[in-house]
Amino acid sequence: MPSEATAPRLPAPALAGGIARFLGRPTVLPGLLLIPVLAFFIVWNTIPTLWLLGLSFYRFSLTSGRAPIYAGLLNFQNILNDSGVWLDLSRTLLFVVSGVGIQTVLGVALGLLFWNSGRLPGRRVALTMLFAPMVLTPVASGTFWRLIYDPTFGVLNAILRGLGLSGANFLGDSSTAFAAVLVVDVWMWTPFMVLMTMAALASVPKAELEAAEIDQLSWMQRMRLVLLHHGKYILMLGILLRTIDSFKTMDLIYNMTFGGPGTTTQLVAITLYRRAFEAFNMGWSSALAVILLLISIAFTATFIFVLHWREKAGA
Amino acid sequence: MTIRPPSDLAGVNRRTLLTGAALAAAAGLTYPRHVFSQTEKGHPLAGKSIRMAILGIAGWLPSKLGVDMSPEFAKYAKARYGYDVSFSFADAPFGQLFQKAATSLATRSAEYNIIISDSQWLGALATPKWIVPLNDIIAKNKDLDIEWYAPVVRQAYQTFPDGTANRYGFPQEGDTIALFIRKDLLDAPGEAEAFKARYNMDMPKTWENFERLSIEDYTKLAEFFTRPDKGYHGAAMQYSREYDFISCPLLSFMRSQGGDVWDPKTGQVQGVIDTASNAKAMEQYKAMLKYQPPGAINYGIAEIVDVFAQGKVFSAWQWAAVGKAMITPAMQGKVLVVPPPGFKQADGSLKRDYIIGGQPWVLNAFNDDAHARVALDFMKWWYLPETQMEFAKRGGNPCDRATLSAEGFDELQPWYRTYKYMLPRSSDFWHDPKYSEMLAVQQEAFTAYATGQINDPAHALAYVACKQQDILFDSGTASKQPSGACAGIRL
Repeated sequence: MPSEATAPRLPAPALAGGIARFLGRPTVLPGLLLIPVLAFFIVWNTIPTLWLLGLSFYRFSLTSGRAPIYAGLLNFQNILNDSGVWLDLSRTLLFVVSGVGIQTVLGVALGLLFWNSGRLPGRRVALTMLFAPMVLTPVASGTFWRLIYDPTFGVLNAILRGLGLSGANFLGDSSTAFAAVLVVDVWMWTPFMVLMTMAALASVPKAELEAAEIDQLSWMQRMRLVLLHHGKYILMLGILLRTIDSFKTMDLIYNMTFGGPGTTTQLVAITLYRRAFEAFNMGWSSALAVILLLISIAFTATFIFVLHWREKAGA
Repeated sequence: MTIRPPSDLAGVNRRTLLTGAALAAAAGLTYPRHVFSQTEKGHPLAGKSIRMAILGIAGWLPSKLGVDMSPEFAKYAKARYGYDVSFSFADAPFGQLFQKAATSLATRSAEYNIIISDSQWLGALATPKWIVPLNDIIAKNKDLDIEWYAPVVRQAYQTFPDGTANRYGFPQEGDTIALFIRKDLLDAPGEAEAFKARYNMDMPKTWENFERLSIEDYTKLAEFFTRPDKGYHGAAMQYSREYDFISCPLLSFMRSQGGDVWDPKTGQVQGVIDTASNAKAMEQYKAMLKYQPPGAINYGIAEIVDVFAQGKVFSAWQWAAVGKAMITPAMQGKVLVVPPPGFKQADGSLKRDYIIGGQPWVLNAFNDDAHARVALDFMKWWYLPETQMEFAKRGGNPCDRATLSAEGFDELQPWYRTYKYMLPRSSDFWHDPKYSEMLAVQQEAFTAYATGQINDPAHALAYVACKQQDILFDSGTASKQPSGACAGIRL
């Protein structure tokens, strides 16, 4: 056996060459560069999701002092038999459809208004003010809207009274509370749809717009054949993101009404929060979270399907 | 240097020496204990530095006082035990405090060494063994076996499960519902005569008058002082869905009329909460909205402080603990704090069985030996007579008999007489680990009725009974399942 001193050594240039050849393989370097992102994704996304999935099959309350007990599909069964959850889901669906619908219509309208408005005086200030609600934290927005709506001290009621109208308890009356929180959501997220509309409009080739002008297309024809044709993917992406985000709405409403009065503004995310972090019923709430995750995936899949279907139909 | 013989000590004779020694001893006995006492020999932490963390309730004066006074303990600990201690504080509003404590304790963290808990959480904190059981500690430290002003103090702030001798908390502050009245409006010229003419009864003006006031007569008073044209209304009560805001006063209406929320021995809810008497109490409570400012349906503790301090209501049902915030400098001398109304019984007597407020201290079970020792020393200091008296002077609500019975206690704060009166007339509700889940259902149903989402109080109570029975059966506390009538019940 050769001693350490006499053992053959790989010459340094040969070693460096070997490493270089290894890194030079088409799959190695991209793979190495992906490791940090993958590690982050696995640690912060995959493992918690799998953990959540596992917990959904257990009866487990954090305050019971007992170890989790395997319960199979019991949590899912209980949720699906719970009329309260179905009501929360239907209320959430109404909130998403009406909220995202209004935001899209207003967002497109305002986006068109600001389109090609580069020379408009005060454009930057107007856009900054327009986008401000979107960058506020929902907790802050919820707090000051609660104060604005306040029937005793609120500025909105003061204005109404100033106009000779009777004030209203917007958040305390079960006939107006849902609409009141919807207005705040629209106020907060319409700017996002404006932004998406402006991005969509920016993606339209200038040549096609000029051609539409030469062909003397009507405003509606220009909208349908040129603007929507090119901008629809970005708009659809905006609607998809808003739909998923709106489906998760919790903090904004929780801070304004706590889901009340009664249950009139109780969306499913509020129910999930209360069961998970107020009641600490972890098994039940994990099962509900899994159901909501599946619904979100279904939303995404539907949108992607629609986009591809249109694409294929167009081709 | 000359050394004098002992017999010639500075030329002082024996009698003078003995007199001086006696005077010094007397002075020592009368001087506050913590100043006089010397460092305890053999304290295991002597010479060390410890950092303690307290978790308390945001925006809640008595909780803040516990925190504000802790530097005094640092001085005391240095002098008596010989260690340095410093404190850091974290807080959260009522609605989020349990969440903050529980998520930390669930990870077996000693992030918060001492926690100000709400009384109803004792079960949820004790069952998973997150907080220290105190029976052995109290047995070994007789100075922590305090005589409380009323049995409810031990039941509400210390005991879990209900009816046992197991203790888990030390009362941090006691609290009861009190009625804050605008005395200047009562005393305004012509008011008493107008009231007499309208209702054929004398207007209550003194604390004693209010002690004899029934809910029916209080309603007349609230109606009389509802004057929106002058910018104020007759009453302000809690109806908010947040935390336990609507539950506490509403359950007081129920209990004072013979109703209850559950049977703590069997965990039975159905048949206990869903009664005609409780439904009537709900109607009464909702009817009081007529005499309150618009928006009262959203009122919680803070909103009531606001409307009362701004002079927008004649009377307010409020926790005694926030007396300092209710009686602002502008309101000094204009406010009378009296017992909330009684409820007439069949024999004509008045009954008050109101929900108790207040919070206990609980000790983190994951504290290491040093922090556990300091937490214990802190509790001993907290219950020193001078500490409790200082707490009272600053507006906290002590619970021990010695302080509450001390001469002049009633005059220390405007609400102390009422607080002392109401303490034995108050009681707590569930100490069950499922407290939070049960409360959520209850708040949902009570506010659904109060806001008009549903119009039948009996249905709201049936919903609460079904859901709570299910929660307690599922957790093993109740032996009976919800009845068949509960299938598919919803608000």
